[in-house]
Amino acid sequence: MSDLLQTTFIISLLAGMIRIATPILFGAMGELVTERSGVLNLSIEGTMLMGAFVGFLITYNSESLWLGVLAAMVAGALMGLLMAVMASTLKVDQTVTGLAINLLASGLSFYLFRLAFKDVGSENLPSISTFEVVKIPLLSEVPFLGRILFSQHALTYLAFLLVPVIAFFLYRTKYGLELRSVGENPRAVDMKGISVPVRQYLAVMFGGMMSGLGGAFLTLASAGLFVPEISGGRGWIALAIVIFGNWRPARIVVGALFFGLIDSFQLSLQAVGVELPYQLLLALPYLFTILALVVGRGRSRAPLALGIPYNREERG
Amino acid sequence: MTTPPNEGTSFDNRPSEGPPGDRSEGTVSSMEPRRLGWKIERRPHSSRAWEAGALLLALFAAFIVSSLLILSAGADIGESLRALVRGAFGSQNAIVETLVQSTPLIFTGLAVTVAFRGRIWNIGAEGQFFAGTMAAFWVATQFENLPPIVLIALVVFVGSVAGAFWGGIAGFLKARYGANEIIVTVMLNFVIMLILSFLLSDAWQDPNSFFYQTALMPESSFLPRLLGKGRLHLGFVLSILTAIFVYVLLWRTVLGYEIRAIGINPTAAGYKGISVATLTIIVLAISGAIAGLGGASELAGLHHRLRLDISTGYGFTGIIIALLGRLHPLGVVLASIFFGALVNGSLAMQISTGVPVALVQAIQGVTLIFLLTAEVMTRYRIRRVGADV
Repeated sequence: MSDLLQTTFIISLLAGMIRIATPILFGAMGELVTERSGVLNLSIEGTMLMGAFVGFLITYNSESLWLGVLAAMVAGALMGLLMAVMASTLKVDQTVTGLAINLLASGLSFYLFRLAFKDVGSENLPSISTFEVVKIPLLSEVPFLGRILFSQHALTYLAFLLVPVIAFFLYRTKYGLELRSVGENPRAVDMKGISVPVRQYLAVMFGGMMSGLGGAFLTLASAGLFVPEISGGRGWIALAIVIFGNWRPARIVVGALFFGLIDSFQLSLQAVGVELPYQLLLALPYLFTILALVVGRGRSRAPLALGIPYNREERG
Repeated sequence: MTTPPNEGTSFDNRPSEGPPGDRSEGTVSSMEPRRLGWKIERRPHSSRAWEAGALLLALFAAFIVSSLLILSAGADIGESLRALVRGAFGSQNAIVETLVQSTPLIFTGLAVTVAFRGRIWNIGAEGQFFAGTMAAFWVATQFENLPPIVLIALVVFVGSVAGAFWGGIAGFLKARYGANEIIVTVMLNFVIMLILSFLLSDAWQDPNSFFYQTALMPESSFLPRLLGKGRLHLGFVLSILTAIFVYVLLWRTVLGYEIRAIGINPTAAGYKGISVATLTIIVLAISGAIAGLGGASELAGLHHRLRLDISTGYGFTGIIIALLGRLHPLGVVLASIFFGALVNGSLAMQISTGVPVALVQAIQGVTLIFLLTAEVMTRYRIRRVGADV
């Protein structure tokens, strides 16, 4: 390979890494906030799927991409609201609820898609024109790095900018401290007169909103169309990354980028035309997710009250 | 935050600031007079009648939502439901076909039941089902000269082994490395679909077809049909036998007792000398074996050739069925027939009123959410307080 080709390959590999990491990062950072409040929300995958569908549907009908993004966020927050009602108020088993919401999202988005786009086959899928890449003035001119870091989608910038914002919120603000305390020792928080359910509702709805954004990225920035199950396991990968990232923002970014890299790598290999069946390349991110769970588990520590419903009247 | 959770407190009569649902002061007797009002408290034990009531309530709520979904498709509710019921139970053929549709669901529902009873979250019945179909197909083509009875037994056996293996991987990773079995099983679903997709585009592709599908299996490996008419096959009998097996396993064996024990309280089970790690592997292997058996049955009994759409999400529907069937084999069989009827009837509904078949998937999710919500009500009761001052 010539030098020029090699450079192009690396640039597209790394730019792809950041682009592909975007929805996973949205989902994982949202789930971080959610899990820090003690609620285990397994429905990221389904929430992403709903965000992807609603965002697409609204944009298709309104021809406004940002309206689609907004709608996806609302849809995500509503999915989060459902989770919060079940987990925080009704105190249904969180694992079962999360699974149930995923199945609900899968069935509902499939049905509504069929309803909204009748007589659609695999040849004539409805599509929209996606977001354009936003080149940051001056910075995108920087050789090499400019094309990797500063020629991305607006939503990608947003995803990465939200990381320090969320980190600051969690570790440097009173509300962040309260939220983390809810996930560690809700009784202590409750005794201080801080409402546990309110914190959990807000956290889970925020997490849902983020997953919705991740879904919107898939249809509005990436694909330009909706197909059933377009989320393709990214929500589950985001969950794995929260564990792998030990519930810490910086390590979650690393995890998301790592998966972006693997996926980008297999796409680049496909583009170059490597003599490997594409299906086996596609399996790489899933295999690495399993690997991450195997190696990343040793030192990690989940919030102490994660997944345990807080019952005021039950005393330990 | 180093304080341990649930540390004891003596603040029994603090004024409550939470939502009304949290207003209860618990069962600890207090010396101060109570305010007059209603309170929500946990039932000492929920009764069978309440459970049945919750189930009916959930089904009713799901029915309402389903009607709204049918309305949103612009179809007439009465006509649609009539078509649905007629399609599912309207004739002897329809009933037989409903049972055909139920068969794979019974298997996956039972697979999920065994795992969930031990609070081991196997979301991979879908992948294990596929593992079963793939192994069954392979062994049928390798040993096609065996006598049919032997070959069929082999197909069914190898299918279960493959499912057990695919489920066992997740069990091993959980037991050995603490890897979350939910995520691992979901990932393994994707992996096996991609492996199958590769095989169907390569070594296994039917040379006479453009489609991603295998050629027909040798006829000697077909499961026999049960009736002169209709597609019902031996797999249905196997599914019922498996239901009996699961019942005996869970309630009549030591292993089953241990599975239910870790499901109720893994820590306590550990104290009793039950090895949670070993049991995790065993449970996921058994669960996978049942799903794999379902795959083999569906392939050798019905389709006779392998395609990517041989399962329309049976593994996931199995989760709903297991929960709807209250993690009991009898409940699973009934719930499977219910969903089998929905699937079968929805085809007739689509033809006569144009409501998409996808409605069934939507209904499934809605039903499950309502069921979980209704169950909460069986655990709590509202009581008037104040009289006990």
